Formats: sequence, structure tokens, C-alpha cells
Amino acid sequence: MAASPMEQFTIKPIIPLHLGGYDVSFTNQSLWMCIVVGGLSLFMAIAVWNRRLVPSRLQSMAEMSYEFVAGMLNMTSGEDGLKFFPFIFTIFLFILGSNFFGLIPGAYTATAQLCVTLALTMLVIFTVIVTGFIRHGLGFFKLFVIKAPLFIAVPMALLEFISFCARPMSLSMRLFANMLAGHTMLAVMAGFVVALAGAGGVLSALSIAPMLLIIGLAALEFLVAFLQAYVFAILSCIYLSEAIHLHDNH
Amino acid sequence: MADAAPATAGTVAPSQPENPGFPPFKYETFPSQLFWLTITFAFLFVVLWRLAGPRIQSVIAARRDQINNDIRIADQFRKDAESASAAYETALAGARARAQKLAEENRKVIDDRINQAKANADADAQKSLAAAEAQIARMREEARVHVLRAAQDAAIEIVTRLIGAPVAETEAADAVRMTTER
Repeated sequence: MAASPMEQFTIKPIIPLHLGGYDVSFTNQSLWMCIVVGGLSLFMAIAVWNRRLVPSRLQSMAEMSYEFVAGMLNMTSGEDGLKFFPFIFTIFLFILGSNFFGLIPGAYTATAQLCVTLALTMLVIFTVIVTGFIRHGLGFFKLFVIKAPLFIAVPMALLEFISFCARPMSLSMRLFANMLAGHTMLAVMAGFVVALAGAGGVLSALSIAPMLLIIGLAALEFLVAFLQAYVFAILSCIYLSEAIHLHDNH
Repeated sequence: MADAAPATAGTVAPSQPENPGFPPFKYETFPSQLFWLTITFAFLFVVLWRLAGPRIQSVIAARRDQINNDIRIADQFRKDAESASAAYETALAGARARAQKLAEENRKVIDDRINQAKANADADAQKSLAAAEAQIARMREEARVHVLRAAQDAAIEIVTRLIGAPVAETEAADAVRMTTER
């Protein structure tokens, strides 16, 4: 049972903690979220400590991430969207950090928990809704209306509404499932290696095959780790852009 | 599951205390997850919002300004170089035109002198020719007179010898003229 591929997602309390009747223990997941955030903060602090005109490698990386997210935001929602830059930047780096740190063997992947991805998604959707109502008041409902004859516009509005409501689910599920599946697959392959190596004889020699597969999968997981952070961030940008501009420029 | 756990807790709990169930769907862990997510996310947000973001932005802006400034200065230099080059071209063209004009003037002066000298030489030659022709005419005239005189003297001598009578010079001259003009 110890080799269950799901075991890596188990949340184990490290320091039991209770607050207002809730169990808010400091767990292995909390630890890794702290490590991710601490690592990112440290990275940022060191990277931009000197603010050199000709950047060091670290500073270059920090600037690249900054300009990447700024460009993403600018591309989707224009100048108006730059207000949300710190928010999107944080989301992107938090997910990217969690995904990448999660690839360290033995690390806990915070984004492989539906609770975390759903919370991040709800934060985005909440921001979108609040922004929409602040900017447009009840006009925000025009988001669901397209310029078309009534007999098309009405069912389309319904579809748009359903699609809007499905967003939290798709956004959180995409990230969660990708992380979960990737890590499960790696664990399953690793289980094969152990099982084959332990079987003795020709089978032991065969254990090299899943080992090679793990190398390939790990490379793929690095891609997925980045890609999912990017997808989450850019979808957040697009949703925010819709809240800012409605359908004006789309 | 929570109800079933205490029944077997004695033997199974140490090895798999919470194993039954899919870890991501274990709701009892959600408060802790949300709590720590909020703290860490908020911390990262503040760090990026207040510290890293502005610093990166300022350094990028500073670099952009520097680059723009450098480009502007370089542009200025280029314009200076272009205007200097244009001035040089103008000066060169002016100098060339002046040189051409001078050369033209010089040639004209030289041509004039040549023409002058040629005209003078022509005139001298013409004069010499005229003088020579006059000399020739005079000499021819003299020669003709001498011949006539000789013929006249000869005629007088011949007549004197033939008939022994003196002949007047005028008669002889008439006779010679008659003969030569016939």
C-alpha cells in the first residue's frame, strides 16, 4: 500500500493547529506552499536587489517573467488591464512555482489539490465579477448578449451564461487534473521500476524501460508545469479582459 | 469513513491512517489548505505587488529611458555627421566650380594671346610679302629698262655699222618700242 501512486497526494499534518473549530494544521502541503512562496520571494529579492542596468542572470529571469506576464495582460486586455498586473503576476508565479517545485522528488505539489486550484479560480472569478459590476453596473450582463436577431441571441445568452458558470470548474479542473495525472503517471512508472527490479532475472534488466519512460515523462511534466501556469494565467487575463471591455474588442 | 476508522484504528491506523479515499477529495483537509493558501498567496502577492513589481518596473523603465536616450544621442551624432558631410559636399562643389571657372578664364586669356600672336605674325608675314613683291616688281622694271637700253644701244651700233649714219637715240628708242610692243 505504501507504493500507491495516490499516496504522494496525501496531506499529513506536521504541526497540529486549530482555529475557531477548524483544523488548520500546518501540513506537508502548507510547508511546500511556504517553500514555494519563500523561494519565489527570495528569488525576486535577490534578483532585483541591485537593479542593474545590465541585468544579471537572475535579474534577467525576473524581468523576463515580469515582461511575460505584462505582455500577456497587455495583449488580452490592453492598458486597462495593467491594474491587475500584481494579481495575475502572483497567480502565474504561484502556480508556476508550485508546479515546478512539485517536480522535485519528494516534494508536495500544492496545485495537485482541487481545493487549491478551485480557491485560486474562485478568486479570479470573484475578481472578474466584482470588476465587471464596478465598471459597468448592471451593464455587465451585456456580457451574455451578442448582436444578433432575437431568436439567436436568446439561446446564445443562455449558452454564454452556462459557459460563464462552467468556467470555474474548467479552469480549476484543468490545472488540478494535469498535475494529478502527471504525478500519478510518474509514480506508477516508478512503481514499475521498483517492481521489475525486485522481480529478479530478465525482469530486472527490463526495469530500464520504465526508467527511460520516466525521464521522458519528467521532461513532459516540466512542459506541462509551465504550460498549465501559462494557461491559467492567460485565461484569467481573458476573463478579466471580458469584464473590463465586455465584448467591445473581441 | 470517519465513522469506520475508529473501529479498526488499533491495528491499521499507524500504516494508513487516512488512506481510504481519494486525497484531493478529503474535505477535512480543506480548512487547512485554504488557510495556508490564503497566507502564502497573500504573502507572495504583497511581495510582488509592493517590492518586486515596482523594482522590476523601475529598472525596466530606467533601461528603456537609457536606451532611448542613447538612441537619441546617436541620432543627433548621425545628423551632425550628415550635415558635416553635406557641408563638405557643398564646399567641394563650390571649389570645383571655382576651379573650373579659373581654368576657363585662363584658357580664354591664353587663347586670346595665341590669337593675338598669330594675328601679329600674319601681319608681319603679309608686310614682308608685300615688300618682297614690291622689290621684285622694281627689279623687274629695272631689268626691263636695262634690256631696252641694251637693245637700243645695240640697234644704234648695228645701224651705224651697217649704214654708217648716226642714229638719234630717240629714233632707236622708238624702233625698239615698236618691236617689243608688236
